[in-house]
Amino acid sequence: MGEERLSMRGMTKKYGVVTVLKDVNFNVLPGEVHALVGENGAGKSTLLKMLSGVIKATEGKIYLDGKEVEISDPLSARNLGIAMIHQELQNVPELTVFQNMFLGRPLKTGGLFVNKQDEIKQCAEVLKTLDPTIDPRSKIGSLKVSQQQIVEIARALLDKAKVIAMDEPTSSLTPSEFEKLAVLIRRLASQGVSIIYVSHKMDEVFKVCDRATVLRDGHFIECVNMKDETEDSIVTRMVGRKIEKVGHKSYQSKECVLEIKDLAREPVVKKANLKVHRGEVLGISGLVGAGRTELFRLIAGLDKPTSGEVLVKGEKLKLHSVKDSIAHGIGLVPEDRKLEGILKAQSININMAMPDMKRYTSFSFIKRNFLRKIAFDIMKGLNLHPLDVDRAIGTLSGGNQQKVIIGRWLASGTEIFLFDEPTRGIDVGAKSEIYAVIEDLARQGKVVMVISSEMPEIIRISDRVLVMREGQIVAELEGDEINESNLGSYAIGQNTKL
Amino acid sequence: MTDTKENLKSALSLKFSIRDMGTLIGLVIIFAVFAFLSPVFLTVPNLINIMQQSAINAIVALGMTLVIISAGIDLSVGPVAALAAVICASLMVAGVPSSLAVLLALLGGALYGLFNGVLIAYAGLQPFIVTLGGLSLCRALALIYTGGNPIFGIPQGFRDFINGSLLGIPCPIIIAFLVALILWVVLKKTPLGEYIFAVGGNEEAARVCGVPVAKTKIAVYVISGVLASIAALILVGRLGAADPTLGNLWEMNAIAAAAIGGASLMGGKGSVIGTILGAIILGTLINGFTLLNIQSFYQLLATGIIIIVAMLVDRATRGR
Repeated sequence: MGEERLSMRGMTKKYGVVTVLKDVNFNVLPGEVHALVGENGAGKSTLLKMLSGVIKATEGKIYLDGKEVEISDPLSARNLGIAMIHQELQNVPELTVFQNMFLGRPLKTGGLFVNKQDEIKQCAEVLKTLDPTIDPRSKIGSLKVSQQQIVEIARALLDKAKVIAMDEPTSSLTPSEFEKLAVLIRRLASQGVSIIYVSHKMDEVFKVCDRATVLRDGHFIECVNMKDETEDSIVTRMVGRKIEKVGHKSYQSKECVLEIKDLAREPVVKKANLKVHRGEVLGISGLVGAGRTELFRLIAGLDKPTSGEVLVKGEKLKLHSVKDSIAHGIGLVPEDRKLEGILKAQSININMAMPDMKRYTSFSFIKRNFLRKIAFDIMKGLNLHPLDVDRAIGTLSGGNQQKVIIGRWLASGTEIFLFDEPTRGIDVGAKSEIYAVIEDLARQGKVVMVISSEMPEIIRISDRVLVMREGQIVAELEGDEINESNLGSYAIGQNTKL
Repeated sequence: MTDTKENLKSALSLKFSIRDMGTLIGLVIIFAVFAFLSPVFLTVPNLINIMQQSAINAIVALGMTLVIISAGIDLSVGPVAALAAVICASLMVAGVPSSLAVLLALLGGALYGLFNGVLIAYAGLQPFIVTLGGLSLCRALALIYTGGNPIFGIPQGFRDFINGSLLGIPCPIIIAFLVALILWVVLKKTPLGEYIFAVGGNEEAARVCGVPVAKTKIAVYVISGVLASIAALILVGRLGAADPTLGNLWEMNAIAAAAIGGASLMGGKGSVIGTILGAIILGTLINGFTLLNIQSFYQLLATGIIIIVAMLVDRATRGR
């Protein structure tokens, strides 16, 4: 493999007196897929931002193919052959694939007019090797997210990128799309491109990466060969402690709290029927786009069903009414915290009070001290650190924000918790805390439904699992049936088991 | 632990008022400049004069502030004000008791606000366009209703009330103060206030947690319509006539005052105190330039510069 393609030495970043990255070394060989792992706040993004010229290092040197380079802005990074593929894809949805690929540096004829034909030709040429089904002339917004990602990779190749950094590339991909991406990444690597792969998902890292650099709290911990490691050994390095694993528990009660009859929103959700019992954790598994989130939104009253009914303890719910769903004790912990969960500028206590403001109001005035006390007690029970309920929620970490959203529903007397991807974007340490909270809710006799695309998560927390495929519930799994091969085959295959 | 809680609480309120403090410093600087240039600027009668001149814009701008915090905009305030003015004046001239005429005019403003709010909250139309339509529509109604002529003959009693004063403070200032106080309480102490910030800050999240999003939006447009009408009636009382062309560019002055005071057109940000200070800054400019006998063109220039400087300071102090 020869000499290092990229070498970052002694990278340090200080904001005022705060050091977010200290003396970090990072080396990538040509043709290598190198994972960059660490908890949120470990310094991965900071390192990547230095590499892509978004921020300037306080100290440290960057070498490319043995030569020291200065990366002063994103353009110079691009000119050096360093490409970034962000978690949130950066394209203009209304433009076509080729327009997006040549955005900012169009091919010109006579120095004035855009040479569309050449652009389309070059674009098609690159795409041919990656995904020939993508038409350069189609609008990028009409493509699947996985295809949009391929377009970004194509753009990097068009730039003759020597180093491609991917930040959480699979956060919106299905497992099968990940498999394709993995093949593509390996192929690029075999052609000599160096790939930096940032992900929270250990199984992916093990599948595609050769080596991994572990960061913790802004420090370099270790650079390891993947073949000498296990998931546990890496995670232990990331968090600096061992993560406890909790086994299955079986629920006792047979009291049905939530029942759904023929609930549908054609064509995304087709006639769903299910029952959930007191103290039970019901996992909802399946691919992204199988209609899981949409099912939750119907139950929460956010969308209008085309047919069916929802019953809580035998009582029929008014459909498409968030108010009525909340009044019947249903609370949604949404997938996208930033977009649907938090009111970022408002305090933790107000975020918690929102669904049930009446409780904290007398004569149309908010009883702040009463609210604070309740918020304080609940967040204490959820182990919020630091325990300050007057802080704006936007200043908290993802895990803490999630705790507040859970606290919001606890404060509102919610009995039926709908968790949509409860640990998305939450670091490994906080994950197990969220699991503990979910298990605790079940123990207290609440009803919990959990959507998760991460199989280990579903397996770990669910008492029972429903698998959805193309809008339909296709399988019900219990006990030992809840395993990766079952979850995978029902999610993708043709079989049903009800 | 209660100690740390108290400390953080005060830190929080301090953090919130930093932006208002900035506006206040801006005002003080402007005051200092004019005081240096004109000997009569810093006299009690002149200061009261400034407040009185700012009062009308302040009232409109306070309504606008609520709308802006909810991530909306109300361009229709000027013509809605004109409509309220001519309704009120024609009723008074027709012999309807002043108090009833005033109530009906405010009701008219509220109804138009309701109309705006329903179109925005239930029909899902964009606030900018809906109220832009209202800007033409209400102006047209006011002009058609009056045939384009001002209505004279406003009862002396009403004029005396508006032009009167309490303990030397003119009535418009007192009205503006009461409006500000009520809105401050609404924003800081009531669920509606938190709902307005929630809807403006993150509508989707607000919906997920059961905030009455539509009702909240309607409420801010109704409040804005009512406040525009109150401002109109003050002007009618002071001029002794209701002109159907009244309220021209009120929406711009109101947005300017709110923006100088720290309201963000993206929603979720804004304050009563900031907007009041913003309105006073604008009023001070008019007053100061008049005192110095400088062409009004320059006052316009200064207003423009101050708005842009306020935004730059905003950006710089917010970090990113």
